[in-house]
Order: sequence, then structure tokens, then C-alpha cells
Amino acid sequence: MPFSVQDRQGISVVTLNGEVDLNNSPDARKLILASLKQRKQVMVDLSAVEYIDSSGVASLVEGLQYARSNDQAFGLIGASKAVMSVLRLARLDRVFPLFESLEGALQHGG
Amino acid sequence: MDKATAGMAIRPADLPAPPRHAISVVQACSNPSVDARDLASIITNDPVVTAELLRISNSAWFGLVSPVKSITRAVTVMGGRALRNLVLCIAMRDALRADEIPGFDIELYWEDALRRAVSARQLSGLAGLDADECFTAGLLQDFGLLVLFYLYPRHVKHWERLAAAMPEERREMELDLFHTTHDAVGLVLAKNWELPAELAVAMGYHHDGVPEDVESQGALLCRVATCADWMAAVYRCEDKRQAVQCARAVLAEHFDASAEHADYLLQQVSGAMSDAAATLNIRVSEQMQFDEVLRIANLRLAEENLSYQELNWRLEQALAERDRIAGELQQELELAREVQKSLLPRGPTPFPGIVGLNLSAKAVSGDFYDFYQLADGRIGFCIADVSGKGMNAALLMAKTASLFRCLGRGIHDPGKLLTMLNREIVETSVRGMFVTMLAGIFDPETDEIVLANAGHLPALHVGCAALIASFPAREPPLGVVPESVYPNETFSLQGGCLYLYTDGLLEARVGERCLEQDGLMRLFREYAHLPVRERAQAIVDAVFCPEGVVDDDLTLVLIQGQGCHAGK
Repeated sequence: MPFSVQDRQGISVVTLNGEVDLNNSPDARKLILASLKQRKQVMVDLSAVEYIDSSGVASLVEGLQYARSNDQAFGLIGASKAVMSVLRLARLDRVFPLFESLEGALQHGG
Repeated sequence: MDKATAGMAIRPADLPAPPRHAISVVQACSNPSVDARDLASIITNDPVVTAELLRISNSAWFGLVSPVKSITRAVTVMGGRALRNLVLCIAMRDALRADEIPGFDIELYWEDALRRAVSARQLSGLAGLDADECFTAGLLQDFGLLVLFYLYPRHVKHWERLAAAMPEERREMELDLFHTTHDAVGLVLAKNWELPAELAVAMGYHHDGVPEDVESQGALLCRVATCADWMAAVYRCEDKRQAVQCARAVLAEHFDASAEHADYLLQQVSGAMSDAAATLNIRVSEQMQFDEVLRIANLRLAEENLSYQELNWRLEQALAERDRIAGELQQELELAREVQKSLLPRGPTPFPGIVGLNLSAKAVSGDFYDFYQLADGRIGFCIADVSGKGMNAALLMAKTASLFRCLGRGIHDPGKLLTMLNREIVETSVRGMFVTMLAGIFDPETDEIVLANAGHLPALHVGCAALIASFPAREPPLGVVPESVYPNETFSLQGGCLYLYTDGLLEARVGERCLEQDGLMRLFREYAHLPVRERAQAIVDAVFCPEGVVDDDLTLVLIQGQGCHAGK
């Protein structure tokens, strides 16, 4: 299933799914950057991601760096167990704003 | 389209007024009871025709020795038949004036008609027919086209396109425009104007062939007209290559002419044009010579062949270029691989108890490890993994490895070193690429290790039989955020071994499953009895697939403490 973007209450939500690796991480990167250019707040929904490799994580890092340098909000929502273990191992859970759901992100002020 | 049906579309009343005087001359010529004197008196009824006849009979065309001063003399010298043809030519030439078809380039039409006439004349010998008879048939055979434009002047704008078309193609266009063709109209006209029967046959059947009941003379003249059509086309049509080929083919079909003979006949046409034009007072443009026609035709042929050959040639060039670039790229990759290898410690490390192994999934790797000795005898070391794979990962790896070596010589605090490396890498970060790195300093004298971990997999401190401690990352990888500060962990190996590895080892498949940390620990225990170098090799061999291909870059570093008997 291809990655997608939806607008929810003014927040651009990029949904990734399945395996995010060298083959499709460029797609994820494009979607994330395009969303950041259009919306002030961008969340990446990782709830359906079964596996993510370092190139996939790099796409998320690039989104984070872009948002930080442009004073935008960027976060991850619903990171699956597989994703969380990768993020925790590399202590990237310390740098990404993580939310259980979009509602949680909204309550937090995006 | 059926000729009769096509002809039905044209009503006799719509046709231009017939040249009555010429017709009476033609009829008188065919009447055996009319003598030369009678014929002359009929002819002289029309002063224009009379003047033209006298002019023409004195022209080079007839090549008469003594001048012809009267029509009676002309009739006597030329004979009734020649006179009849000449009168027909003059009458038809004048039957439709330019102003009767507004916007129509009538000169272009007559030049084309004249070319058919001289072509037909060239064929008289082959056909065994009278030259003037052939000439007249050639001149008049397409008169129907002129009539079509006279009847439907709104289509005048298509004339140039029609003029440049091949004979058969032209007929198709006529059907589209007029729903009839010039030969069908020609037949109706010839009958209506009571033109000689054999001329009517030539005008009406030079495309489709004569009906069976037509006498042989008329059928022959019709074949002459067919060939004349294609011969003229050679000079008129855009596609000279095809026109020449068709002209040769029809000449071979109708008169058994060889290609050389056909070319000879074609060659004569342009030369005969100026005399004929002067005789009939028809204005013609400068005639293209047959050599030029052939040159253009061959050029086109050559172009067509060339384009195929060139296509082949270009394809070969492109393939050669691709191979060349691939070769160059391979060479570049080899060079890059060499440069990368030079960044890794060369050969067996000079430090007993320390060993590193690296296998790359691609020609170049995103993993690296390093050791270097400080002035005080301690050993600096690191293991790192760049996100992603391939050339961009290799370049970031090269940069990080160089920075590590360079800064590591002066900064003997692994945490500070990583903090500094991080700031450096974040500043020039592209595409979110990051580096996970474990850096440390080992004191062989005391077995003490100072360690800092930037997002890398946990370092595992393993004793003789079991895991003593795990040192997971406490801060994110290098290149992610500038504010990261990396703390040190200090501990003693106590004769145990510190295992550093990249995810290539952790995710290596053993059977159906990934190794994971449990599998890794099993391997460490399994080979714990081996000296450190053999142990590292045995571990890598255990996960190395038989085909010799690894899915990911795979790196393993072992630092064996001195306090334990194992690996000594």
C-alpha cells in the first residue's frame, strides 16, 4: 500500500505502512518534506509500520531537522512496537515528539 | 467508384461550353468527302485558330523547309490528321481561361499537361502510334481535372496539394473533394464534346484500363496515357524515389521497357519540354533535369537506408557508451572501496586482544571501526554505522572516520569526542543521514574502558561464560540534533571481552530467523574458548551465508581484557 497524506484539523498527517526501507524511504521523504512545505504541523503516523531501517529513520530525522530549522511542529504518532524498539535502541525517542494518537498530539498543542 | 455513377454526378449542362469550331474541324478531318480546300475554309472561320496553326506549322516543331503561308498549304503539308490534333490542342488549351477558375494556377496545370504530352510522344515509338496522336492524348488526358475545378472552384486551395501528389493518390484526393475523379469527368466531357473516340478512351480509362470492347488502337493510346501520367509524375511529385520506381514499373508492365530504357525515356522528357512549350505557347518553369530527379530520389533512398543504419550505429554507440560508463563507474567504485579500506585499520592490529572485521553488502560500506594508540599506551577505538547504504553512506562514513581519527588524537574523552563529532556532522547534515557510533578508550594495563555511545547498538561486556553488562546508547546518533551531550561509562573488563557490532550482525539470518541479541550471545559463548582473532572469524563465519553475500554491512570488534585466561 502506498504511503499517504491527509489533512486532519489543520495538521498534515503522513501515514507510512508495512516495511519502510531503502526501496521506499525516498517516497516517505518526499511526502514528509512536501507536507512540511505546505503545513505548519506535520505528524507521521507509524502505527502500521512493521519494519523500518536506518534509511527510513533518516527520512524521519530529515523531517525533524527541517521542522526545527523552520520553527514548525513535527512528531510521530502511534509508533508500533517494531518502530519503538528501533527508536529506543538509538535513543531517538529522546528527540522525536512521540504521541500515541493524533488526538494526543492535538491536546499537546501539536 | 463506378465510372458511370461517378460521371452521373456531372450534368452535361454544367460543363464548360464546347469549342464548337474545333469540333467541326475535327469532324471535317474524319470525313473522307471533305478535301483540303474545304477543310482550310472551315479552319479559317476561326481567326485565332488560323493564326495559331500558321505560327505552329512554321515552328521548329514541324521543321518544314519552306514556310507555310496559308492554311491550305498547311493542310497539304501536315495532313488532315496532324492538323486535327493541332486544332484540338489549341482549342482545348483555350477552352477554359484562367479567369473562369478564380485563384487556380492554370499555368501549373498546363505545364503538367504538357509534360504528359511530351512523355506520351516519347512512347509513340514503343506503342507503334503516331507521335502527334500520343502527344494530343497526353495533353488532354487529365482535362477532367480542370473541369472539376471549374465546377467546384471552392476547392481551388487544394490544387497545389493535388499537383504534388502521385497519380493514384491524386485520384483518392479527388474522390474526397469532388466525389468523382478527373477520368470519369473526362469521359463525360469527351462524349459531350464529341471528341474523337480514341481520345475519349485515353481520357476516360488511363487509370482503370480500357473496357474489353475498345479497339486495339484506342487501348494502346490508353496505355500510353497511363505511362505518360507516371512519367510526368517523376518531375512533379514530391516523392521522387517512389515516382521513379512506379514509372519504371508501369513502363515495364505496358511496354516491356527495361529500367535503363525507362530512364532514357524519362530523361528525354525535360529536354522536350521547352520546344513543346514554345510550340503550344504554354508558359513553363525551368525544367528539372532527370539527373537531378535521380539525385533527389537516391538521396531519399540513402536517407532512408542511412536512418536505419544510423539507428543501428547510434544504438551501438549508446551501448558502448553505457559499457564505458559502467566500466568507469566500476573503476570509481573500486577506488572508493580502496580509499574506504584505507580508513579501516590495516592488517592484524598491533594490539594484542583487539580485533576488528568488516564485510560490506555493496562495493562500499557505511560501517567502519578504528583503533589507534595514544601516547600513554592506551588505545582509542570506535565502531560506527552510517544510516542507509551505498555511495552517500560511504562518503559520510569517510568524513566521520577522518574526523574521528583527527579529533581523537587530541581529545582523550570519548563522550567529549562524540559531542564534538556530533556538532560537526549536524552542521553539514544532508537528507537526515546520521551515524551511530560507539567510541572508547581501553587501557591494556588496567583493563579499564571508558565508553560513550551515540545511538549505537549496546556494547556487550561478556565474561568467560555470561553477559556481565550491556552498554546501550543514552543519547541519539551523531548528526541528528546539535544539543546532544554524550556521557561516558567507565568500567573494567576484568579479563572479560567487550563485543561491539553493527546491525548487520544482529540482523544476520541464521536459518529462517534473525540472530538478535540472544543468538549473538549464544555465538559468543560457543566460541568463547577460541583466541580472540579466531573467535571473531568464527562468529562472522557462523552468520556468513554460503553465497558470500551479506544483506547489510557487517562489522564486529572484540576487545579482550587481559585478566582472563580466555583468548590469551
